[in-house]
Amino acid sequence: MDPTVAQLILQDRKIAYAITDRNLNVVEVSGAADIFRNNHKTCLGRSLLDLVPELVGSEPVLADILAGELPRFELAWVNRATAAGQTIYLTMATLPHHDRTGQITGILHLVQEVTEMGTIDQQLTQSRNELRLLQGRLAHQNLELAAANAELRRLDEMKSQFISVATHELRGPLTAIRGYLEMLLDEEFGPLTDDQHQSLEVVQKSAGHLRTLTNKLLDVTRIEAERVELVLQPMDLPALVEAVAAEFGPQLEAKAQHLTLRAPPGLPPALCDETRAAQVVRNLLSNASKYTPQGGLITVSVAPTEEKGFLQISVADNGVGIPAEDQPKLFDRFFRAKSAVLTRASGAGLGLYITRSLVELHGGRIWFESEPGKGSTFYVTFPIADRPA
Amino acid sequence: MTVISKKVCLLGDFAVGKTSLVRRFVYNLFNDKYISTIGVKVSRKTVAVPRDDDVVELTMMLWDLSASEEFNQVRASYLRGAAGAVLVCDLTRPETLDSLQAYTDDLLRVSPDAQLIILAANKRDLADQQQLTPAQIEAVAAGLRVPYYLTSAKTGDEVESLFRHLGRLLVASS
Repeated sequence: MDPTVAQLILQDRKIAYAITDRNLNVVEVSGAADIFRNNHKTCLGRSLLDLVPELVGSEPVLADILAGELPRFELAWVNRATAAGQTIYLTMATLPHHDRTGQITGILHLVQEVTEMGTIDQQLTQSRNELRLLQGRLAHQNLELAAANAELRRLDEMKSQFISVATHELRGPLTAIRGYLEMLLDEEFGPLTDDQHQSLEVVQKSAGHLRTLTNKLLDVTRIEAERVELVLQPMDLPALVEAVAAEFGPQLEAKAQHLTLRAPPGLPPALCDETRAAQVVRNLLSNASKYTPQGGLITVSVAPTEEKGFLQISVADNGVGIPAEDQPKLFDRFFRAKSAVLTRASGAGLGLYITRSLVELHGGRIWFESEPGKGSTFYVTFPIADRPA
Repeated sequence: MTVISKKVCLLGDFAVGKTSLVRRFVYNLFNDKYISTIGVKVSRKTVAVPRDDDVVELTMMLWDLSASEEFNQVRASYLRGAAGAVLVCDLTRPETLDSLQAYTDDLLRVSPDAQLIILAANKRDLADQQQLTPAQIEAVAAGLRVPYYLTSAKTGDEVESLFRHLGRLLVASS
């Protein structure tokens, strides 16, 4: 090959080579020799270790090459800082240099500058490593969060246990109080004056509220401990709704509220727990009455749903409605809507939480539509019981 | 005065601070920004090490190697001819201590004479993030039969001591 062409190729590919004698003194240098120069003006006659500082300390390796014991010593991606502070990347190969008789007369050292490829590789490595560091940090944070979560769960269980024990302890004396109140009101211990009768009725009403609250708290602890067991059986939902509605007679009458029940004939039975389904209807009806003013209208309907395999109960009222900002939290434990506070309606914010849990335990759904000032409609669904073939 | 030069490899997982330790020791500089090393960056520092009645001028050729999960021909070339090594782990990442045994095995496979090894448990300045205890470091160092230092390339704590210790070992063995 024409030596000029060879030089052009070496320059273009940024390749340089140096040949040394057995004392590592450079006797020939060619190609992109600037790579070798560093701060030296000349290369010839200098030690290879001056031109390639990366080889300092590797004298045993060079000795092995000169002894013919190592055919090749290759270094990829050697970083070198330029005077301008930039990093260039070099690949190096050090080989024995033979004369025509095959004797090793020195070292042939080849260098190629591969900064372009090296820079890309460095960027890829950087991104990969940063990603792995981030993954590591995230994994560590996840562990910490899991530990914090476990601790929160433990505290929550402790709280539920406390509520459960406290509620049980309250229930015993409460039963005695209610029993004796009934006997007093029945005048089993002697006649009462009108004032005494009225006062005892107030006490009885408060004891009733207390009983409702303890029952709800017990339900919450059972739901959270997943200890609610349903006795599922085919139920006539319109009949169940009618029976619950009958319990509300005096309450509705006291507020002059009008209750309408609607159900088309021939509805299939629903598969539900009678007590728990009645509790769901009772709670929805109680809320409707509570948040509907004197003379308001309440409509309870039972109907098939668009969702196949379910029956739907809806309880609609023309009461105060639910403010938009309260709607997302309505089924949260202990949440009380502004309307509840404004109307001074009694309650602990547990009813709808329990209702939703019970409906979902049945495999049904609960949702509502509401417009402040115009009223609300709550919907619940229960699965249809499979009819025998 | 005797003059010797020795090749020392820095080995350890990515981002444990190998480059920063070298930078601190050679230039007394530190940069918080993490820049991954690919391949090898060779730096030199000459230290005077007393030996008997003499002072040895030791040139430490510090081979700052990129982390590697596999052993191959390229890796073997980097390790060839090493007289010693600094194993580096990160006190905030326990897994970086676990991998030091593999790096040691690779080194000794290529350079069986590279028995002069020292362990640097780096980033001691990140006290609130540390997940490795001195006892854990001590146990691994004892298993590898190497001395260890708790270092901080950021503050410079124990960096000089680490390399000086290795320097004394290198001179004593030469």
